[in-house]
Amino acid sequence: MIEVNHICKDFISPKKYPGLKGAIKGLFSTEKVVKSAVSDISFTIQDGEIVGYIGSNGAGKSTTIKMMTGILKPTSGECRINGIDPSKKRKENAKNIGVVFGQRTQLWWDLPLSESFTILKEIYNVSDEDYEKRMEFLNEVLELSDFFDRPVRTLSLGQRMRADLGAALLHNPKVLYLDEPTIGLDLVVKDNIRRAIKEINEKYNTTVILTTHDIGDIEELCSRIIMIDEGKKIYDGSLERLKDLYGSRRKVSMEVKQYDSCKKLKLAEKLGVSEEDCRMEWDDEKKILGVSFDKHKVQVPSILNMVMEISEVKDIQIQETELAEIVKEIYNHGLHAAV
Amino acid sequence: MRKKMKRYFRLYRVLISQFFKVIMQSKVDFLMGLLGFFFTQIMGIAFLYLVFQQIPSLSGWTLEQLIFIYGFAQIPRGIDHLFTDNIWLVAWRLVINGDFDRYMLRPMNVFFQVISEKLQPDAIGELLIGTILVVRGIANGTAQMDAVHVVFFIISIFAGAVIYTSIKLFFASIAFWTKTSGPFLQVAYEMADFAKYPTEIYAKAIRFIITWVIPFAFVAYLPASYFLGVRGTFGFGQGAQIVGTECLIAAIFWTVAYALFNKGLQIYESAGN
Amino acid sequence: MRKKIKIYLPFALNELKRQLAYKGAFYLFIFISLFGSFIQYFLWMAIYGSSPNSTLGGLTKEEMVVYIFMVYVTSNMTMITISDWVSDDVVKGTVAMNLIKPIDYRMSLVVRALGTAVYRMLLPGVFIWIGLEIYKVTVLGLPLVSIANVLLYLMSCMMSFLICVLFDFCFGMVAFFTTYIFGMLMAKEAIMSFLTGQLIPLSFFPEVVQRMFDFLPFSSIVYTPVMIYLGKYTGSELLFILFRQAAWVVILYLLGTFIWKRVTNRLVVLGG
Repeated sequence: MIEVNHICKDFISPKKYPGLKGAIKGLFSTEKVVKSAVSDISFTIQDGEIVGYIGSNGAGKSTTIKMMTGILKPTSGECRINGIDPSKKRKENAKNIGVVFGQRTQLWWDLPLSESFTILKEIYNVSDEDYEKRMEFLNEVLELSDFFDRPVRTLSLGQRMRADLGAALLHNPKVLYLDEPTIGLDLVVKDNIRRAIKEINEKYNTTVILTTHDIGDIEELCSRIIMIDEGKKIYDGSLERLKDLYGSRRKVSMEVKQYDSCKKLKLAEKLGVSEEDCRMEWDDEKKILGVSFDKHKVQVPSILNMVMEISEVKDIQIQETELAEIVKEIYNHGLHAAV
Repeated sequence: MRKKMKRYFRLYRVLISQFFKVIMQSKVDFLMGLLGFFFTQIMGIAFLYLVFQQIPSLSGWTLEQLIFIYGFAQIPRGIDHLFTDNIWLVAWRLVINGDFDRYMLRPMNVFFQVISEKLQPDAIGELLIGTILVVRGIANGTAQMDAVHVVFFIISIFAGAVIYTSIKLFFASIAFWTKTSGPFLQVAYEMADFAKYPTEIYAKAIRFIITWVIPFAFVAYLPASYFLGVRGTFGFGQGAQIVGTECLIAAIFWTVAYALFNKGLQIYESAGN
Repeated sequence: MRKKIKIYLPFALNELKRQLAYKGAFYLFIFISLFGSFIQYFLWMAIYGSSPNSTLGGLTKEEMVVYIFMVYVTSNMTMITISDWVSDDVVKGTVAMNLIKPIDYRMSLVVRALGTAVYRMLLPGVFIWIGLEIYKVTVLGLPLVSIANVLLYLMSCMMSFLICVLFDFCFGMVAFFTTYIFGMLMAKEAIMSFLTGQLIPLSFFPEVVQRMFDFLPFSSIVYTPVMIYLGKYTGSELLFILFRQAAWVVILYLLGTFIWKRVTNRLVVLGG
């Protein structure tokens, strides 16, 4: 079980000034800037959960993960990973976790992948028997054998990511942290990686915490989402609930013949709902009328009826709001605008 | 405890044997690096040689004696260089770009991970020239070596290497506070060049600094002058005094440097924000 | 010409800005690089103290002090290493990128190096130079350097800068053939510190060796400008020395062009 209690992390850096003059000024300045990267975040994660930890760039995702893995010490608050505080017992915690940072490898750059695994076997004190068993499984799900003898620096990004994931799993960690595990990968490899994560989670009941910008990762893997923005937690719950809460909007687009007369139509008024619940958008060029509405308050047929009274409709499209758009909406406007 | 030590040794062997394989794959690079350091030292000797064309002795030291000191200085330096070269990367790169993260993720001693990541074959250039010059000094009678001296010699070069490592670690650890400490480390490391020559030629302040503050004099000049017998006797007592002090200094500096390194791990900020 | 300046100036400015950005590094840089000079200083004082003659290699003890510190000022300003930039670009594959851009790769490096040179001339070069002159007049009792010698010195420095950078560009091309240039750089620096007169005035070498140095570009990099500063050359000899520097600039420029053409051809063939 993972418990995170009111952790905060502040970064202090010297003040920087712009331009050449600023660079000279900076030589003599001692001003400091305090930036709060994570402020007062708490959550609990049960064994075997797959949790998506999401937020825009610089929201504090990586900082939180780094505190949970023992890389960073929190400014205040504490984490407990299966009862161990990583900031106090780093080595002990490290035995139980696996970490993959999508942006940088933890393998030995110049060595063949097989040698990296040999070294990791020693580092994590994996017995020969366990090693054999684990490698067999990892080979199966990650297909490492294709490039097992090649130096890490010669691997493609997708191969490297599979290798890194394998390396993080060699010692069968109870918790797996993945920081953008699918960044920059093509669809096939992404799919492979996701399947592997799922299989590992199912087979070993490994707890998985992943940060990502890829909505696909979340939709396919995560039963639960924690969303943060500017260092604060703004959502914690199931994917379904998030969709339910913020994804109730739909949009219907109609290509209409009598475009100009449609412009006079006041849909919200006629349907007796607020302007926000039934908003009309116009595309003058293509002569398309779009209506964005709350699906709990307005039905598609009633909109169609209204429009068809005035004009002939040549084509109709109905769109469900995708998670990507919900997330975008939340990133752009904060939580409240999306509600 | 013993089991733990054994594990670390085994791991070190695995890592190092890997690096030998890598080195053997790029023999040209290896040779180049070796030649680079070899040449640097040769130039120092050539300099002394040219100077001695003009003068019979330098403040009472003969060319042969200076060459012995010069050569002796290379051996602890080379040992440290061979085994702990990765410390330089901590100072220059690993902390500021966040690559240091990976050491924090593994259930092993962080310092051990840092040094075991790399073996610097270039150092063999220094060790080679150092050994050649020292052996030469013994062969032509400039320096004395009997059984007692050999023991002191071995202790001294190891203590010297520890002093080098401690100084490097101390200044590299500053990177945890300043993100990069390469220039600091560079300053400290280059101080070692002072110790290639007899310290009497320097102003008092400099002599004090390189003897007691950044004690490179104990790495090279002081023990070397013992083997040359310039203080009058080659006796056991004198050797014990010089080498003993060297060991004490090594122990103190190591303790301080390692404590600072550990303190640095506590405040390590990673990168990418 | 103005357009050219507009294109290349940012390289120089950026380099200047980058250097200033590391403030800790900046203060320390001055400190470190003077270390070598102080070691040299004490060493030479001891050497002169042990010598029965008052001049060694044609220099008095006082002139030697000037020599040591002017070597520092000069080499600091003129010996800009660009080969590691080249090797960096080769390793990262950005050389190929540079081939696409409508700028001359070598030119952009030279200008970038010029940024560094100017920076180093201002800080700490000028300060040490002034300090040295004060020390020279008040303690060593030598006359102040003449304006003419300063101007000649600066002119000579400009050419040594070009010689050094152009030579280093050729050297940097080695990076195309080895992945580990660090060792070569070490060897190069060691040998150059000797051949340029950084470590010891070239007049200390045996006659035969000195004759050989006349046919190499290295003496033009440090030894020549410093000896000009000391006023050791006059009349036709001075003209000849300056002419020789100019000749080296031209030769190394042509050599660089030739090698660059060969290398880029290879690059295109191999697909970089």
